[in-house]
Amino acid sequence: MTLPVRITLRTIASLLAISLLAFAIISAMPSDPVAIAIRAWNLPVDGEIVAGLRAQWGLDRPFLERYAAWILRFFSGDWGLSFRTGEPVLDEFLRRLPLTLTIAFSGLTLALVAAVPLGFLAALKPRGLVDGVTRMLAVLVQAVPSIWLGLVFLWVLGVQLRWIRPFSRDWSGLILPIALIALHSLAVLTRVYRRDLIDISSQPFFRTALAKGLGRPAALWRHGHAHALYALLSAFRAEASWAVGSTAAIEVLFGLPGIGQFLVESIAARDYPVLQAYVMVVAGWLLLLNAGIAASLAWLGGRRA
Amino acid sequence: MKTLLRALRVSAALLASAAALSTTAWAAEPLRVGASFITSGLDPAKGSNGWALTSHGIGENLFSVDRDGVLGPNLAESAERVDEFTWLVKLKPNRRFADGTEVSAATVGAGLAHTMANNKAALATGGTLRFQAVDPLTLQVTTEKPVALIQALFAEWPLVTYHLQGDGTASFSGPYAVKSFRPDAEIELEPNPHFAGAEKRGPVTYRKFADGQALTLAFEAGQLDLAFGLPSEGIARLKANEDLTVKEFAVGYQYLAYLNTRSPMLADARVRRAVDLAIDRDQLVLAIHGGTPATGAYAPYFPFAGKQARSTDVGKAAGLLDEAGWVVSADGKRSKDGATLRLAVLAYPQRPDLVAMLPVVKAQLAALGIEVETRIVENANEVAGSGDFDVFLWAQHTAPSGDPAFFLNSTFRTGAGLNFSGYADDAFDAILDGFAEETDPAKRAAIAAAAEAKLIEDAPVSFLVSPVWHVGVSKALSGYEPWGSDYHVLRADIGEAR
Repeated sequence: MTLPVRITLRTIASLLAISLLAFAIISAMPSDPVAIAIRAWNLPVDGEIVAGLRAQWGLDRPFLERYAAWILRFFSGDWGLSFRTGEPVLDEFLRRLPLTLTIAFSGLTLALVAAVPLGFLAALKPRGLVDGVTRMLAVLVQAVPSIWLGLVFLWVLGVQLRWIRPFSRDWSGLILPIALIALHSLAVLTRVYRRDLIDISSQPFFRTALAKGLGRPAALWRHGHAHALYALLSAFRAEASWAVGSTAAIEVLFGLPGIGQFLVESIAARDYPVLQAYVMVVAGWLLLLNAGIAASLAWLGGRRA
Repeated sequence: MKTLLRALRVSAALLASAAALSTTAWAAEPLRVGASFITSGLDPAKGSNGWALTSHGIGENLFSVDRDGVLGPNLAESAERVDEFTWLVKLKPNRRFADGTEVSAATVGAGLAHTMANNKAALATGGTLRFQAVDPLTLQVTTEKPVALIQALFAEWPLVTYHLQGDGTASFSGPYAVKSFRPDAEIELEPNPHFAGAEKRGPVTYRKFADGQALTLAFEAGQLDLAFGLPSEGIARLKANEDLTVKEFAVGYQYLAYLNTRSPMLADARVRRAVDLAIDRDQLVLAIHGGTPATGAYAPYFPFAGKQARSTDVGKAAGLLDEAGWVVSADGKRSKDGATLRLAVLAYPQRPDLVAMLPVVKAQLAALGIEVETRIVENANEVAGSGDFDVFLWAQHTAPSGDPAFFLNSTFRTGAGLNFSGYADDAFDAILDGFAEETDPAKRAAIAAAAEAKLIEDAPVSFLVSPVWHVGVSKALSGYEPWGSDYHVLRADIGEAR
């Protein structure tokens, strides 16, 4: 079996397993969706209405039958109606997903692109200026929640200096959200990349390269970069997972209508169709990312071999 | 010289064009409004959408309460009682919904009937209402229960008026019409072309800010013309900035605590009364930087509001707990039969003042020897409805129709839809029955006072603070005067306030 086929099968199997688990957990939640809908919509508590909703949502059927019906509907594009808004969940996700993906991808891409030169400079001169700054940045983003950092940026850059318009609906409203994601990931990725380069600089083959007359920068790039890229991509996978959660918090703070904001409001209302869809979308995002990274690592390995 | 004159003419023409363009740009520039809430959807029959749509300037009621708290006609002209259960409501002529449909008895009746069938909050006062068009502008209304003041019933928030269109969507009659809607985030409004003075009104962008700090910062950054419901802790800082205008206004909301009568800890009315007596309302006012201690169920500006602030008497509270068998143990905690008196006190973050009050309430109850666990929950209605609490701090408009009956009927009548305390008392229900027949405002106030006295005696609720709220306005909107709590944030006159 070829690698792409293997990765595809693994992704599909994982998605199905996650969907079953998510459906089971959400179904096992103590609140009754019909009771929630009746309260949320102020519906009269009427036996006919209750029975009608139970039948409409398939709650009167056995678990596996319900799951099978839901997953089939899900993959055929019927994601149900939101309890809160009464609107189709798929339409809402399609409207919101581009914004969330823009924030997450832009932040992660910026971080990935900047992490290589910064990590390289930090490894080139340990305890130098770049190393010190990236270390401080790493400590800061690990110690301070992104939502708090966002409030500080809002106050300094938006209110005091008026350099940006943080709540505008054009591209300038995305600067801070993207910067927050990028800053966190940049700090982590830079340190990972630097650490691997420094590890390599203590290896015998690296000393041999230096003895052959290569300068330290050239030796690090030629013999260390590809190795450190492995670690960088693995760390990128973890950062992408972190970005999913953080994007939700950032969307709430900046009032951005992405899927994270929709999720936060839906948790409060126990909006089951939205919660189930969110789990599937996030699982899909992470599995695709994993597949992409696995393919990249295999490709890198092939090139090195 | 000729060249100079030509250059001057060209410059003047360019300047004039630029001025004209900038005027057009200003006129088309939407008014930017931020608040902590937004309608959940555009279906007026669902949940509390009726209230939110009216608050956004989209919907209207047949009758409504004006800035002085006085109930008056709105889409309707008058209402006349025919017999115990029948009323004739006369509509104003020449009114249209945003889709151009005339506001007629048939369309209004169909919309209200749809709400009756789908929202039980609409049934609180008169039960299920039936509607029949007598002529194009006269609507016959038959109530299930006698209603003494149908004008107040039609001012209740669920009963927003709309034209139910063929595809199941609704068209409204308020000063603004929906251009686009993004749930939980933003609603773009345009003037309803059929509402008087549409030409004076510009578009509006209404945004929800889930975080109070973000709302404050957006206002400070000059990105909002109107910031509604600014958190109280930032007001002093905002007022110190002379570029910003912050207005304070009394609201019809009351901050109160539901005391769960179904909870084993609070089943005894003496314990509930002790909780009510232990709370020092002056301290709560300090915690939220404004307002006054509650005098009862209603904000002080209503004519039927109580006059005396609810008192604090820790000694009496301790006595009531002793009498109920909850005595102080060696560790300073109260217990009975080996069980500690432990209360779960809840609040929800959508009203930040409640969260600010939470530690104060905890400290005051703890001083009495009660062990308190505090919780902040996002899904307040869900948790309150499930009964999984002992004390729930709550913000509620208690006279949205300018009449005292709706709040008492919908919140404390046995089995009522919003009866989170689980209170059930025949004598109390009998007092409320008086509202069905009595039309004289003074006598209705007396019924409300009797009901309040019964509530204070049985203590399924503790009335805490009559708050003030804060609104930030930009220079462009300095003429805006807030009133009507959050029931009328966007009004017909808002464009004219610029």
